[in-house]
Amino acid sequence: MSEQLARRFTTLCLAKGEYKKSGQAWVATLSPRDLPAAAQELLDAEFHIEDVCGLDISEGLMAVYHFDHFTRPGRVTLRVLADRDKPEIPTISHIFQGANWHERETNDFYGIIFTGHPNLIPLLLPEDADFHPLLKEEAARKNAAALLEKGEILDQAAGFTLFDAPVADAPIESGASGEGEAAGEGGK
Amino acid sequence: MTRTINPDYIRGDLYTQRFEQGKRENTLILNMGPQHPSTHGVLRVVLEMDGEYIVRAEPVLGYLHRMHEKMAEVKSYVGFMPNMGRVDYLHPLAWNWSYAGAVERLAGIEVPRRAEFLRVIATELNRISSHLLWWGAYLLDLGAFTPIMYAFEDREILMDILQRPTGARLTYSYFRLGGVGADMDERCLRQILDFVPYLRKKLPVYKDLVTDNVILRKRLEGVGDMDVDMCRRYGATGPILRGAGLASDTRLNETYSVYNEIDFDIPSFPETDAMARYMVRIREIEESLKIVEQAVAMIPEGEILIKGAPKPNWKAPAGEAYFATEGARGKVGVWVVSDGGKSPYRIKLRAPGFSNLSLFAEASQGTLLADAVAIMGSIDMVIPEIDR
Repeated sequence: MSEQLARRFTTLCLAKGEYKKSGQAWVATLSPRDLPAAAQELLDAEFHIEDVCGLDISEGLMAVYHFDHFTRPGRVTLRVLADRDKPEIPTISHIFQGANWHERETNDFYGIIFTGHPNLIPLLLPEDADFHPLLKEEAARKNAAALLEKGEILDQAAGFTLFDAPVADAPIESGASGEGEAAGEGGK
Repeated sequence: MTRTINPDYIRGDLYTQRFEQGKRENTLILNMGPQHPSTHGVLRVVLEMDGEYIVRAEPVLGYLHRMHEKMAEVKSYVGFMPNMGRVDYLHPLAWNWSYAGAVERLAGIEVPRRAEFLRVIATELNRISSHLLWWGAYLLDLGAFTPIMYAFEDREILMDILQRPTGARLTYSYFRLGGVGADMDERCLRQILDFVPYLRKKLPVYKDLVTDNVILRKRLEGVGDMDVDMCRRYGATGPILRGAGLASDTRLNETYSVYNEIDFDIPSFPETDAMARYMVRIREIEESLKIVEQAVAMIPEGEILIKGAPKPNWKAPAGEAYFATEGARGKVGVWVVSDGGKSPYRIKLRAPGFSNLSLFAEASQGTLLADAVAIMGSIDMVIPEIDR
């Protein structure tokens, strides 16, 4: 994706990802109402939808959209944060029809409500399921800054602090240094 | 004796009832599956029929849902690998690879060169066995019984070959974080090199027996148009995209491992119909043979697993990574989010079959029911992968 295209999104935070490390070329955080317009821009630029994922973090429920291009690789990630008490995000299933099932699945797993969705009924869970299996316990939730790639920020709305939150006190080890210990204790 | 019939039972479940609401006049609601043989196990499709023609179709999923994504959150990084052999049982090594690749990308693990070649060889052989099974089962759907006998005979050899390094015949978990589980010895590599010319000799038989058969052509040509724009909107990849004329393949497009050192073509056919998708898969078998042949010749000596490879109590660094590989059905993606703990914070499994099947409702509109079976088979769905 060119920077020109990326700049056309209305974002809260637009950043360049480190593709080699995370597989993402661009990461943009949007407010829910700006999502459909960004999806339309991506479709016009011949991107295809890869998936829609949910993520339960301390700040609320996040929907993460992955897009890619068939011939010019460069994954574009759109993140939309919804309020936990009222998790509503507008649907993009009228733009990318493939999002229809992905959104139903995310509704199953997280209870995110995709407003305007034509058929938001359980997809994978039983029709009478009254639980959302991937929601986390309060204590197990981590904040966005501790989990997600921040990237090289090009543009940030005033007052946007999602990735500035203090990193949780979870022990963070680099892959290389953790291995020695793991090798010693493993195989028990 | 009077029989009592529960009126709720007749009205059907939530899916049938909701589907019924949009019914037109003089149409029939028909439930196909989940036990219908051409739905490959446990897919259900609710159809609105106008005579023999489909007005609307809606697949109903979830009969094989096992919630692998939740299992990931309670298992160790190493302990989740066997699940990857069970998501798509026809091409499990692509899933092995996507998961291992995502975690390796997250942790910055470099895989030894010999292991990269072993991964390529095993995955391509597995791709051939997946395509062979699809070929046999698809023709079975279309009413030809004999081809599956030929396909299974050849697939059996592949399973024998893969059994040696992987220890399994179907649900492989051959990959390790940082390499593979076992080396391929001289005998295994010789078996592989013997298999390549063997299957090359068999492919013309397949062509004479089936591909050039006029009945098959009449059933597949011009049936089930899926163009590039549709693939884009639904996120359909793999043979569907290449059957729409776009030579896009994750192996080269988003190249990984040593695929860019190997010389092979991406077959694509511009006809956008079921026959094009059939031809793509047949040609892919040839290309996979080419890859395997080169990879066996190029394979270097060396380690197959990095030193100090992750063990069950290994902690991944915090962060996120997405890794995609090309499976037999399309782009297999794994998104892993880590909080620095022993279990993944979140794993998303992007199944190609899921996106490919979501296209079925649109592609089957206005076709004959018998053609819908031809379309469904040409998507090559594996339900455990779709339902995860």
